[in-house]
Amino acid sequence: MDIMLGTVAVDWKLVAAAVALMAGGGLLLGLIIGVVARCFRVVGDSRVDLVTELLPGANCGGCGKAGCRDFAKSVVSGENPPGKCPVSTREQVSAIALALGVEVGEIVPKKAVVRCSGNLFTSDRVAYYKGINKCSSAMLVGGGPKLCRYGCLGMGDCARKCPFGAIEIINNLAVIHEELCIGCGRCAAVCPRGVIAIVPAAAHVHVFCNSPEKGAQKRQVCRSACLGCGKCVRKDPEKFELTAGLAKVKYDAAELPDMETIEAVGCPTGALATTERHRLAAKKEAAVK
Amino acid sequence: MKYLELTIGAALVNNFVLSRFLGICPFLGVSKRLDTAMGMSGAVIFVMTLASAATAAVYNYLLKFTFRGVAYDLGFLQILLFILIIAALVQVIEIVLQKLSPKLYQALGIYLPLITTNCAVLGAATLNFKGGRGVLDATLFGCFSGVGFALALLLFASIREKLELASPPKAMEGTPIALVTAGILAMAFSGFAGLC
Amino acid sequence: MNKSSRDVMTFKGGIHPADSGKVLSENRPTLTAPLLERYQVLLCENVGKPPKPVVNVGDQVGKYQLIAAADGFVSANLHAPTSGKVVKIGEVPGPMGIPAPAIEIEADGEDRAAELFPPLNWETADPKELVKRIADCGLVGMGGASFPSHVKLSPPPDKKVDTLILNGAECEPFLTADHRLMLERPRDVITGARIMARILNVANINIGIEINKRDAVESLETLAEGTNVKIIPLKVRYPQGSEKHLIQAIAGREVPSGGLPADAGCVVQNVATAAACTDAVMKGLPLVERIVTVTGEIVCRPGNWKLRIGTPLLEALRLAGGVTEEPGKILFGGPMMGFAQRSLGVPIAKNTSGILLLTREEALRHRATSCIRCGRCVQGCPMHLSSCLLATAIENGRWDLAQQNHVMDCIECGSCAYVCPAHRPLVQLMRSAKMELRKRKK
Repeated sequence: MDIMLGTVAVDWKLVAAAVALMAGGGLLLGLIIGVVARCFRVVGDSRVDLVTELLPGANCGGCGKAGCRDFAKSVVSGENPPGKCPVSTREQVSAIALALGVEVGEIVPKKAVVRCSGNLFTSDRVAYYKGINKCSSAMLVGGGPKLCRYGCLGMGDCARKCPFGAIEIINNLAVIHEELCIGCGRCAAVCPRGVIAIVPAAAHVHVFCNSPEKGAQKRQVCRSACLGCGKCVRKDPEKFELTAGLAKVKYDAAELPDMETIEAVGCPTGALATTERHRLAAKKEAAVK
Repeated sequence: MKYLELTIGAALVNNFVLSRFLGICPFLGVSKRLDTAMGMSGAVIFVMTLASAATAAVYNYLLKFTFRGVAYDLGFLQILLFILIIAALVQVIEIVLQKLSPKLYQALGIYLPLITTNCAVLGAATLNFKGGRGVLDATLFGCFSGVGFALALLLFASIREKLELASPPKAMEGTPIALVTAGILAMAFSGFAGLC
Repeated sequence: MNKSSRDVMTFKGGIHPADSGKVLSENRPTLTAPLLERYQVLLCENVGKPPKPVVNVGDQVGKYQLIAAADGFVSANLHAPTSGKVVKIGEVPGPMGIPAPAIEIEADGEDRAAELFPPLNWETADPKELVKRIADCGLVGMGGASFPSHVKLSPPPDKKVDTLILNGAECEPFLTADHRLMLERPRDVITGARIMARILNVANINIGIEINKRDAVESLETLAEGTNVKIIPLKVRYPQGSEKHLIQAIAGREVPSGGLPADAGCVVQNVATAAACTDAVMKGLPLVERIVTVTGEIVCRPGNWKLRIGTPLLEALRLAGGVTEEPGKILFGGPMMGFAQRSLGVPIAKNTSGILLLTREEALRHRATSCIRCGRCVQGCPMHLSSCLLATAIENGRWDLAQQNHVMDCIECGSCAYVCPAHRPLVQLMRSAKMELRKRKK
């Protein structure tokens, strides 16, 4: 029997059968899926979803985990404090902590610094190194071609590891661009000499030397090494400390050193410098006097 | 003869991926590692066999019937119904897999539900319908099509694992060289033409 | 009966590096070096824990006196190379490129010997006493490994050892120290072998010598007649001197992957160690000197010198008359596995078999290009590894793949790097993988 829709004849029995089949089929299949879902239920932790929602969602890997969901899992399991995520704002971290009922954790922003100023021109090599162009490989060949055993080898293991492209190799010296670094620590972990330190992001003045040897010995192999003369410590004992032949900035001091401090101290080799000055010095192709 | 065509023909001569160019998405997406490729192959063979069987049963017995003396031919519902069945089937498999093998479930990720919209599965069902095959023949065809898909996928995955260690020109790294390799593999499979 | 026409034995794999270097010094008899003013005796040149100094700065010591005592079982004693005063216990440039601790002795010119150990009759003495004597005299593997000999000669009771093999192969090009030793002190070598066999309680004693040292083979064969020591001529192939390959060639056994020679029922010792063993047992002399080949195209008078441990590299070069041009590289050891030195102040140790100076051209390293899958490295590898596959895996950071393909079994012989037409730094890649895998295991 046909129904007339305008000038088109429609067989309503066919339509009914089609609708019945589709509806019936849909219902049946839906029922089957429902039953199966109930039988094979996997109990997941809903808190992981909650924390994932609260995170920035950049999936940058700055926390050291494989994406935000992975980090959320580690926070729920207690492996990491919520503050470990370097990209989250204070509010986001507090929200996560509140939701889970845990401690906020350390949220001091950090960054990495290469504590060496010995580039190709200021520090001496003992021999030509002709091998694989990797710091870890160079270390296999008698500890590397540099006379200084503690300085940066400048072959770029850290630069290749940095997921943010924050490290540049200038004249065989690794230099970190502060504005790109979030302090994830991967470069420090891969450096075979341990030259890279993770320090508070607010610090802009550092002692760019890593060698604890005596000043006279260091001077023979590197013109920009810290001599351990102690001028900085004498001028400002609150901000600096001296261990063996190496001066260090006290990063946990109440006040961090700045440009004025450097000018007041008058470091003889220029090992005490701002990160900006350090980067410019690395580019210089003459020995720093 | 018919069975030869259904088995060898479906798997090699008219390989779903390399001759008919169906199901390219999982072919390229899951073939980076051999273990995920093997998992995907298993899932696809399973889905294709069951889907072919279910859809064959549907179009043989449900789409053409006589009710109260009136003959109904609902052949036009073919695609809708097939998709419904395939989607439900894949959903069930996904749920079961998540419970039984969470590692495989994690590894396949997005590609599992993509088998639903995968033209290979729908293609097998449609080709069965076009060929007017019975349930048994259709199941055989679906199964061996899946086997052919698996073969192509596993071969490609093995090659891609080695490609990862090779050093092609920078512009060709990754997907470009994989596509070129797939093309060469398709050329190789065209050698089966005329087998049966 | 012409014994030398017997079938020479060998192993599978290996390469034939150009070996015209040996002619520079193989016919030069060993000369004894004159006494120097200062000796810097390295403390940690043996496998295991470094010995602890038992003297202080300012002490007077006699030649052969104990200056550092073994620290634990896997450690070796150290004795003074001459009489004099201890002037410093500190760091000197080391052969591995990093500063190494050493005891510096200023010679008084008298070369007075301290009290020596009493001679033992090795045929009647208790094997335990013989081992103790070897330990007391500070014997270590003089072939390069520096493994304390008394440890090697005391295999754990669960490992049944039935074969002793002496390594007279000296497969590295340029080196001739062991060759000269076998020519000049053949009796001591044979006696040393028999002493070691007595300690281990084995009857199967073999001395493997590469056939390019035919005079040594013949001389030792004559002396070995009537004893149970067998002289085995070996085909000239690198690295025949590796202990695993000596075992394969002579005993026909394979040391299991990751295992030691004792796992194959064998103990391998260098011929120089055997001669030192004879000195220790029969004369009570601790190990303080060894034959070192100082050679190279640019050395004025290449030859073999009996040098005392602690002789600085510069003094050894002076003995050889200096160089004719600036060297490209100075190696301790041979050109295949030797270590390039960074400083002329590095002293030699008990395991320094040669000092090799390469010219700039010889030391030139070509730029590495891509692997062309030629397969020469696979043919050449004595451990049957696939160096090209390993190198590609390591370059891509695939440590799992490297471990699966047995990178830890690599003996770093350098065969693959030598034959590679693309000049790839294969040995360095293997070493970096081994370092990385060791770090991960921890």
